[in-house]
Amino acid sequence: MKELVIQGLRQAYDNLVHMFAEFLPRLLVMLVIIVVGLFVAYFLKTILRALLHVTRLDRLSEEAGASRFLRMAALPSMTELLSRSLFWVTWSGFILIGISVLGVAGLQEQISRLFLLLPAIFVAILILFLGLVTANFLSRAALLAAVNAGYPAPKLLSWSIRFVIWALAISMALEQVGVARQTVIAAFSIVFGAFMFGLAIAFGLGGRELAREFLERNLGDKKKEKYEEPQPL
Amino acid sequence: MAEESFLADDFLRQLMSVGEVDLLVGIPSHNHASTLLQALHCVEETLRQNFVRERAVILNVDGGSTDDTRKLFIESSERRDVAHKGLTSLRTIHRISVEYDRSPSQGLALHHIVAAADLLRARACAVVSPGTTNLTSNWVANLLRPVYREGLDFVAPLYARSRFQGLLARDLLYPMSRAVFGQRIRELYSDEWGFSGRLATQCLEKEVWQEEAMRARPEAWMAITAIGGGLKCGQYFLGPKPASPAGTSPDLVDAIRQTVGNLFWCMEINEPQWLNRSSSQPVPTFGPDHELSSDGVPASPEKIFDLFRSGVNELEPILASILAPETHAQIKAIALSDRLKFHFAAELWVKTLYEFAASYHHSVLNRDHLVQALVPLYRGRLYSFLLEHANSSPEVMETRSEMVCQEFERQKPYLVERWTTKH
Repeated sequence: MKELVIQGLRQAYDNLVHMFAEFLPRLLVMLVIIVVGLFVAYFLKTILRALLHVTRLDRLSEEAGASRFLRMAALPSMTELLSRSLFWVTWSGFILIGISVLGVAGLQEQISRLFLLLPAIFVAILILFLGLVTANFLSRAALLAAVNAGYPAPKLLSWSIRFVIWALAISMALEQVGVARQTVIAAFSIVFGAFMFGLAIAFGLGGRELAREFLERNLGDKKKEKYEEPQPL
Repeated sequence: MAEESFLADDFLRQLMSVGEVDLLVGIPSHNHASTLLQALHCVEETLRQNFVRERAVILNVDGGSTDDTRKLFIESSERRDVAHKGLTSLRTIHRISVEYDRSPSQGLALHHIVAAADLLRARACAVVSPGTTNLTSNWVANLLRPVYREGLDFVAPLYARSRFQGLLARDLLYPMSRAVFGQRIRELYSDEWGFSGRLATQCLEKEVWQEEAMRARPEAWMAITAIGGGLKCGQYFLGPKPASPAGTSPDLVDAIRQTVGNLFWCMEINEPQWLNRSSSQPVPTFGPDHELSSDGVPASPEKIFDLFRSGVNELEPILASILAPETHAQIKAIALSDRLKFHFAAELWVKTLYEFAASYHHSVLNRDHLVQALVPLYRGRLYSFLLEHANSSPEVMETRSEMVCQEFERQKPYLVERWTTKH
């Protein structure tokens, strides 16, 4: 009986040693991959940051009004945000590769699925950024044009444009990462449709006077509305 | 040569067949079939009456007219050559027509004109607009003569104006360009001007022709290039400037985008030229340097005030990013004041413009948007001007305009400070 216990313990010890002997090199490989990944990610971040400085992305972002939103959200500059995103996406990829080297059953499939998502996440971030820039630029252009032309409710027009572009960008980004694809499309269609329907009702019923004024201004006798502004040049 | 890369082969062939000339008159056109012949007639008369022995070329540069503008020019040239046989034997008036693009651009048109002037070694050149309804042969002669005979390099026109005409030029463009660049040229933005072959060659060498700011209004840049190059500038009184027919001139927003945007851009690219300049100098002037005629206040100026007030309110976040907090607060305060007691002081106006220029330089937002944000403020200043001068005599108005110019010069150190302060 005593021998059986000792033999059992010895076997367990042998198994443990064997397991450690098999696991330790994998752990080391994982650590090496993570450390190498850290350097590669840092290198790529530095390169991207330099490239974005050369292309003056921050200036573009400032001009387009995106930087103001980043500041409001206590986020760093656009260059810093994109280069840091690349750093984390790259390093996360290496970490996942490292973990997969451990060969833990069941984890492999999840990791490979997550790994496939990384480029999509990066593209989604890019889509959101472009959406933000475009929304700010176009809504500001619309606001200025409406104010200078003397149209009523220029802010409503500006915010409508901003909202539509944001909704489009967010739904495109979510679709890109494959989050509840059908739901996102349906939600976007509903939100967009409801928004336009709401505008139509608001403009046609709630703002009948406004609608009449708008149509008269644009389609009616322009001479009636025209005020005299001295010739500037 | 730089121009070899962009001039069409056919145009180059036409230029080579002309050889060298003394005078060149450029006529940029776009759908000017109804007025082109009148302009062409004036130019020909000028050359026949005032420059009998000089070799001359009339160059029509067309921006893709869809009417018969080019056809008319070419056909009229053929007819006139026949009609004036014998009378023109002492000199040659060549006529060339070229389509520089399918859409109009004053910048591209001028680029072709200065390239032609350089290739033909023209001594004096003038640009005239076929859209100017009261163009006379005297106008063309008065733009060419100071260059050809007096040795000037840039000649701006001077016009007799009605009291409330050209206020953007009188209350913003002239005083600001005078304070910044130090030369008292009243009409930097005009449809007619004269320049020397020497200036054309200098301009041709600059790498600015593809810039957006040059597309619509290249003439002020040409004058500023002359000032920066130490060349002689002057101005010639031409006579009354007629109001453009409705729909043919740019509206206020477009006018501000084209001219103020261009002025800020000129400040940007010529920074070393003006940062240390502190006063302004008069330029040689032929004839009176201004003439105002009396007329009534424009109808419904209240609408102008309403647009100012709503603009200040709606554009608050944009103005806050452009203006200093104190300036912005002052503008918001006057926007709330009573319409009949409204006053946009010259001091505040100058400060506002200098802050806009500095913000343009620092690109605090898209530059075209920034310039557009100035429109409501200009309307405020315009309304204040109309209120103040509803019953003023032209002399009083001119005195006040001079005071505004001096205010621009007095505050120039503030511009330099804002311009050079890093944001």
